[in-house]
Amino acid sequence: MRRRNFLALSLSTALAPQAWAATLAEAPALAALVKAGKLPKLAERLPQQPEVVTPVANVGKHGGILRNALAGDADHNAILRIVGNMGLTRWSPDFQKPVPNVAAGWDESADARSFTFKLRPGMKWSDGHPFTADDILFCINDLLANKEFFAVPPSQYVVAGKLVTATKQDDHTVTFHFAEPYRIFPEVLAGPLGQHPVLYAKHYCQQFVPKYNPGVAKMVADSHQPNWASLFRAKCGDIEVPARWANPERPVLDPWVVERGYTGGTTEVTMRRNPYFWQVDTAGNQLPYIDGIDFKVVSNEQSMLLAVIGGQIDLQLRYIPSIGNKPILAQHADKAGYVLQPLTPTDANAVCIYLNQTDKDEKLKGLLTNKTFRIALSHAMDRDSINEIVFLGQSKPWQVAPLPGDSFYNEQLATQYLKFDPKKANELLDSLGLKRSGTGPRTYPDGSKLFLTVDVMVNETAMIDTIQMVKKQWADVGIDLGINTMERSQFYNRGQDNAYDIDLEAATGGVHPTTDPRAWLAVHQLDSRQSIPWVQWYTSGGKLGIAPSASMQERLKLWDQWKQTADQAAADALVKKILQMAADAFETIGTVQALTVFGIRSKRLMNVPASMPNGWTYPNPAPTLPQQYYFTDA
Amino acid sequence: MSRFILRRLLGMVPFMALVSITCFGLIKLPPGDFATNYAASLAAGGETVSQATLLSMREQYGLDRPFLVQYWRWIDGVAHGNFGYSFQWQQPVSTLIWGRMGLTLLLSLAALLFTWAIAFPIGVYSAVHKYSVFDYVFTFLGMLGLAVPGFLLGLVLMYIGIAYFGEDLGGLFSHHYLNAPWSLGRVADLLRHIWVPMVILGTSGAASLIRVMRANLLDQLHQPYVETARAKGLSEFTLLLRYPIRIALNPFVSTLGWVLPNLVSGSVIISIVLNLQTAGPLLLQALLSQDQYLAGAFLLLLCLLTVIGTLVSDILLALLDPRIRMQ
Repeated sequence: MRRRNFLALSLSTALAPQAWAATLAEAPALAALVKAGKLPKLAERLPQQPEVVTPVANVGKHGGILRNALAGDADHNAILRIVGNMGLTRWSPDFQKPVPNVAAGWDESADARSFTFKLRPGMKWSDGHPFTADDILFCINDLLANKEFFAVPPSQYVVAGKLVTATKQDDHTVTFHFAEPYRIFPEVLAGPLGQHPVLYAKHYCQQFVPKYNPGVAKMVADSHQPNWASLFRAKCGDIEVPARWANPERPVLDPWVVERGYTGGTTEVTMRRNPYFWQVDTAGNQLPYIDGIDFKVVSNEQSMLLAVIGGQIDLQLRYIPSIGNKPILAQHADKAGYVLQPLTPTDANAVCIYLNQTDKDEKLKGLLTNKTFRIALSHAMDRDSINEIVFLGQSKPWQVAPLPGDSFYNEQLATQYLKFDPKKANELLDSLGLKRSGTGPRTYPDGSKLFLTVDVMVNETAMIDTIQMVKKQWADVGIDLGINTMERSQFYNRGQDNAYDIDLEAATGGVHPTTDPRAWLAVHQLDSRQSIPWVQWYTSGGKLGIAPSASMQERLKLWDQWKQTADQAAADALVKKILQMAADAFETIGTVQALTVFGIRSKRLMNVPASMPNGWTYPNPAPTLPQQYYFTDA
Repeated sequence: MSRFILRRLLGMVPFMALVSITCFGLIKLPPGDFATNYAASLAAGGETVSQATLLSMREQYGLDRPFLVQYWRWIDGVAHGNFGYSFQWQQPVSTLIWGRMGLTLLLSLAALLFTWAIAFPIGVYSAVHKYSVFDYVFTFLGMLGLAVPGFLLGLVLMYIGIAYFGEDLGGLFSHHYLNAPWSLGRVADLLRHIWVPMVILGTSGAASLIRVMRANLLDQLHQPYVETARAKGLSEFTLLLRYPIRIALNPFVSTLGWVLPNLVSGSVIISIVLNLQTAGPLLLQALLSQDQYLAGAFLLLLCLLTVIGTLVSDILLALLDPRIRMQ
């Protein structure tokens, strides 16, 4: 059922190149350059069969500059999410399946071990140089496999301990081979971390690789870089570094190219249209519609909010969307000329309570690993009040589970133990022998003090408000909780040191749970907070960390099977089984559903979908194709 | 005098060496390193980075080496004029720092001049007209200026600017001149914008200096030598200027040493709020992300400024007050 062959489809529906040339249109500025003889004709700049994009609402017009804001010096992913999520595949706008992007289509073998991608003949980098299979091979053979460039190759290209290999069938056909089945490879390529194969233009980037250029050592020394790999990254970037957006010379496949780069001390990053961009709309207009993007660099979120309500921003989907900002955003919308842009949640919970299953305190660990104790804590929480007070009544009580409507929705996982029932909670706690005199805090059976602390990041105001309510509710059943607010890096260091009782964090996986199942599987190195030592055990193959519970070990085994199952239905069944086991184990406690938050878009900006998922694997707004946004008054 | 200066300059070398070890140690003191902080900052935005990237990062930058090795690599480079490499920016540190230092110094000097221009006359007036109506008014304003945090003042001003005047008060340039080459127009534009941070930065400093000036002058005004001079018929203005004010100036001058670095590091929050491209925000970001060489270079520079500032103030003091000796 998942075996697809978009190749045949695209070839049969595509028009001949000459037919395109008759109806093609480009931005006036580019047309002027062509007329002056400074740029080849549009038909020569486009691939023989450009991808034809159907606009969200209607065919737009060329022109205008989009204004956006970056938060400080390390917000490179904001650029990635608007401009640079150009992998071989991309997510469909509804986040349901990967569709062809840079590749015209792909075909996979029945055992899901090899994937053949067909590129678009005639497609070019932003400097006009042809984009071919050699560029992909350059990345796989000379970079991914190079120990000097990656000490350990990125896990997204490694299956069963072996790195992907690639062979070139012809200039426009590449086959990837894996040691074991890797069914989700096209999904991986659609996310931001799967862009490596098409990130590097060989004709430009090879000058920084010793194999191709013996003069690299001198370039390294002249630029004061520590080694060629850093020089390479400074010039050609990597997926998540600011330097990716610093070098205007780097050829790209993105709709816009860097004009003024993202370097230390910069106040504005500007990008302008890529004259060789390979998509057209249904009327034959070359995309992007918008001439360029100006990213204003502001240092903090309050200044960003001020810039937004001052009408200086046309599109802002990061940092400002929070429940607390909605009133002020709504208040200034008319005057500043923007409308609120709903961003639908992809998280499994707004505030997930991770109870450390490998707490260093043995007595406390005994309680935290006891399911009865966790059930009691869950019943002691009044989630309706939390929803009313912290989330303005916009959400609803929820455990940590995929949202309704997702194909992996599990009712038990989502709704068990949600009822506010302090009487039952007290009974359960009594049954554990946790003694209480009057209305004071409980003690262990041996009479020693029972005290829990929760770590929460200081910038997560909704989480802090939530846990303050929970603290009071738990106190009513005799559980004494201390709240430890801390700076972000401290929070992560304590996580890595296994030095916490309870952590509060968002839980991913409300939509497409398999893209990040951290709350049900101890697989995320930093954020599977039910136990980081379990993750270490899993990722080291049992050599490090602490052996997980029987249920978790079984789930991890199923997860390994899932990765290597070629058949989609069988793979889905495994995920369902994992989620059911997670429901029975009940390791994490949820509060309420993550809720729709609001960014802003200018009233003049069209073709933006009415709402879009908000996530990292679906790096919004990229899959909604910002290159087909346009200004009404352009 | 020249021997004194030479001796002090020589003494600075071992002192700076000690400072550099302390700075580097402090930067490395928090648990974790640049790689973990990088991962944490991405994770906090719901974004992930592969473990492989982190590993290769540590190896490339030598973060897995012992402390002393890392320190030696750095300080050896500094001695040869190479301030090291910013992990965050994948750029040599020196290019990052000098870009921001110019505006920082300009803003600092403007704020310092503003502080003095306000504090000096008001302080003198308040002391001479002790308990007059205006003394109370200035005292009240001074207390207010001390009590209101600069960043709050900045936010309030910016909100008023945007909500009521549709004017963006943040930044040092308007959009048009942001990246333009230097020209008369750009200088004019800078002058149009610089008064907001100048006033905000200078306010609390001015408020405290008014108090200092007033108290110092009050101490002097009733000294016998003042009475004597007055008895001899010196005009009130000449008298004030020639004797008590000169002595009351001592604290202005002797605090110069820490005014210099304070203007760079003390303005961090205000620079962040007002979105100024000065050194402060870059330093803060470097410290938060443990971008160790960038942060180290900034801290070294700040310490050097302190040391130089102290030297300058010592020299000025000696010139100003003949009672102060070089020994």
